[in-house]
Amino acid sequence: MTGRFKKNKTKKYPNPAFFRAKDNMNWSDQAKNLKEIGGIVLEMAKEADYKAFFDKQKRDTLAGIERVKSEFEVFKNMSNEERLDVLLHGEKELGKLYRTGCMATVRREWRGLGDTAYDFYEWCRMWGMLLWTFSKDLVPALNSALYYRWMMSYMCCVGFMDKNTMGQKGAALKMSHLMIYDIFRYVAENLVFLAKCDEKNGNSQELNKKVVLFDEMTMGQIMAGFPDLLGIPYQLMPVFLVSEIDQLTCVPYIDAVESFGLPADTCPVPSSECGALVIDALPHMGSCFISSSMPCDGSVMASEYMTRRFPNLPVFHLTFPVRYEYEETTPDAVEDIKACIKFVEEHTGAKWSWDAYFTQMKRFNEETKYELEKWDVNKTDYPQIIGPCYELFRKWNYEMDGGADPRTMKTFEKVNKLMYKAYERRDEAWRGKMKYRGIVWSCPAHYYANFSNWLANCWGIDILVEMESLNFTKPLATESKEEALLDLARLYERMVMRRHTNGGYQNVVDELWRQVEEWRAEIIIMYQNVACKNMATLQGILDDQAREKDYHMIWIEHDLMDPRTVSRKTMRGKVNEYMFTVMKAEPVDASLLEFDDETCM
Amino acid sequence: MKDLKHLIYFEDLLQNADNELVEKAKADGKLAMGYTCFHIPEVLLNVDNCFSVRLRAPRTGSIDIATYYMSNYTCEFTRALVERGIEGGFNFLDGLAGVDACSMMNRFYEHFEILKMNEKPNFFVTHTDMPYKVVDYSIKHYIKQMQIRLLDVMNEKYGVDISDAAIRKAVAEHNEVCRIISEIGEMRKADNPVITGYEFHILNLVSYTCPKYLILPYLRETLEELKTREPDPKPAFRARVAIVGSEIDDPEFTKMVEDAGALVVADRYCFGSIPGREVIELTDDEPALDQVCRHYMEVSECARYIADDKVQQRRTTADTIAKEYKADGIIYEQMKFCDFWGFERALVSHIMAEEMGWPVLSIDRPYNAKGSGQLRTRFQAFVESLEIKKIQKGGN
Repeated sequence: MTGRFKKNKTKKYPNPAFFRAKDNMNWSDQAKNLKEIGGIVLEMAKEADYKAFFDKQKRDTLAGIERVKSEFEVFKNMSNEERLDVLLHGEKELGKLYRTGCMATVRREWRGLGDTAYDFYEWCRMWGMLLWTFSKDLVPALNSALYYRWMMSYMCCVGFMDKNTMGQKGAALKMSHLMIYDIFRYVAENLVFLAKCDEKNGNSQELNKKVVLFDEMTMGQIMAGFPDLLGIPYQLMPVFLVSEIDQLTCVPYIDAVESFGLPADTCPVPSSECGALVIDALPHMGSCFISSSMPCDGSVMASEYMTRRFPNLPVFHLTFPVRYEYEETTPDAVEDIKACIKFVEEHTGAKWSWDAYFTQMKRFNEETKYELEKWDVNKTDYPQIIGPCYELFRKWNYEMDGGADPRTMKTFEKVNKLMYKAYERRDEAWRGKMKYRGIVWSCPAHYYANFSNWLANCWGIDILVEMESLNFTKPLATESKEEALLDLARLYERMVMRRHTNGGYQNVVDELWRQVEEWRAEIIIMYQNVACKNMATLQGILDDQAREKDYHMIWIEHDLMDPRTVSRKTMRGKVNEYMFTVMKAEPVDASLLEFDDETCM
Repeated sequence: MKDLKHLIYFEDLLQNADNELVEKAKADGKLAMGYTCFHIPEVLLNVDNCFSVRLRAPRTGSIDIATYYMSNYTCEFTRALVERGIEGGFNFLDGLAGVDACSMMNRFYEHFEILKMNEKPNFFVTHTDMPYKVVDYSIKHYIKQMQIRLLDVMNEKYGVDISDAAIRKAVAEHNEVCRIISEIGEMRKADNPVITGYEFHILNLVSYTCPKYLILPYLRETLEELKTREPDPKPAFRARVAIVGSEIDDPEFTKMVEDAGALVVADRYCFGSIPGREVIELTDDEPALDQVCRHYMEVSECARYIADDKVQQRRTTADTIAKEYKADGIIYEQMKFCDFWGFERALVSHIMAEEMGWPVLSIDRPYNAKGSGQLRTRFQAFVESLEIKKIQKGGN
């Protein structure tokens, strides 16, 4: 342990010394890369169709003027009462924010005076945090944009925040902002670390010695026992999360690996991970890598591509029993965890600390309690905390944070406080749009992370809970080491997706009916990731049983990270069709029935 | 070459899962134990009065009902089995030994239960958990699974003798089958073999799908016949190939390759003989179950094993057998929609070609391959390319 890394006496998270670790940039390589990028930019500049470019600018400007005129006309023709309502409570036709061919919405949403002001404050706060975080080691962080196209997609992360909060107001808006802020802070910090560690970029050998990479589909809790190390879900930033921000990010990865020979029917998560390896879109970094068998067969096999791409990076394959409900299988999982801990110790020189582990797990248990309180409120007639920010926060906290960041606890406290107050006031989480109680089953499309937002805004279908949120909630043992390992194994075995799609059909079929009853859901949004074999092999059974039980189940096909197979528009079309023909319903915002967001991030 | 005496009989046996010999064994009071996956040690299903039947869905036509249940993006082998099960084609079974190794095949076992495909009072479907790597604790885990989730169930349901002695007896019989198949397999190494890939495929498949004690006399006789069989003076084939990859239980696939002019000399695929027909050497100082389980884990070439040593083992095995069997090229194949072999094939077909220097044909294929004109064309083109390479090297 170097002196520099011993200094984290303030217990700040993440260890400030990680940011201060010395970089070893090869400036000559950077110059070469800059020259290459410059050449590409020049070539693009030469080949650009400027006429088409300026024509588009002209069209957009004219369309903008038309839009302003038309909005002014509408406002002018309103009664005073209606004008006051718009000023105080926001606009009603959110579909008008989209324009064909545009990557972003035409303007920010007007949510009413107070909420727009608050939203703008959060917008500024988010930018402030991002700039502050990147400034901790600015050069490698900025330089990443010259190596990785996915870095550019993060530039529109604030737009992603806007999409996820669209239509939200009051406490719901505040809670969403608080939660998404924590996720973005985590992302920003990890982007800085990726840039610092990348051999092509920051090349911080000092930090690389402390970095343990793990597969993005592996939970981060195992790192709790190594407080002096930095665990990074390796593909999370370059592949997984960015595909939620920018629907087109994974397309080059998928194309690359399919050209390499991988069948197109495999799940886009491992396909994209492998494709990113094929086109060298992942930073070269870390002291070792923990691969995983989770949550599906494709993920298992992606490890083979990883070891092939980085033959000198030591790999541990953390593999848990699939039939996790059989208690006799848990000792095997425990042995694997022990072997994994030993592997990390061997390759980093760090020692596993039970004290550190128990401290983090106590925090995680506390966070789980807060989570369960949210569920309790959402099960009532007055659900308060719904929408994509919450969905993402739950998954991020459960899988990646896992109690590691003490700052997250404060967010939990604030959010739950707001939630209870809103509940006491009997607030509507989606003001004026609470028509149907919905539940989401199976995995959502990454390229349409804010689909539940559209469901609420367009049809008043409010998603109270997602399958991917309903995981292991038993408090983890924090006294007995033996019990702690058993609990850790149980937790990992019940990670997002795996909890339902592994271990027997009962976990996803019978469990759905149980949850529908518990949450009193009126509509089931049944995602059908066309490449998810675990789910696809149960579609007939799910259909049969839903019919027998007389549930409204809307099947929504998607291809997880590849919007070319099933577009967002097609996904919306499935709901529109069902709502009109089966439910005989009318939309709450008809402007959202048809709009074009094919190129929209 | 002169036709093998029992070939047509063997072909007939492969037309149905409940073939003549299965029916005879049932009439003898034996219990039929179905399984599909190599991860279930075949010998454990042959203890006492049980006999193993590795499930296939020969003569599969429409799989529409299974497609309704499992979608059209999933493994056709699995869907064909579900369809056959729904049709009642597996009603003869007394138990089904399932393994949660690949998600789609696991769903076949589950549909067997959910759709109540077999309603015999004592019929059971087991679900066993399979490790992803071969280390001391995972071997223990595997042994425990086979004991608790398979043998104990057989004993509880039917009073089957699952003692160490019973397992050793089953291994002895299994080993005789393996010795015969291996000896026949070795004949394929000859420059001008006395057996074709298609014939070998048939022989090997009947050894998986028929009761051992009933098929053994035929296998013994065929071995003797082959020892004196005269090959054609001039080989009819223009190239020799090894097939590596996922499940092939359809001899028509091999026939299609051979019709294109390539002799299939090695079968390194699921339902093949490499692995599958190695003798299990037992010692007296350790329980037979432990030794059997370790054997299966060590020889397995399933792409599901993800630890680095097994990944390397698969590549080395493919290279070694192709050399030993004097193959001119390797066909890397996968059942369409198979995730494990989809990833493995895509990567390793590059490695075998670019690093190990093998001409490789990389294909994904339907369960029923014989009607695929596209595959036929690809086989023909591959054979031609192998021929050209031989000519360029100055071979004949």
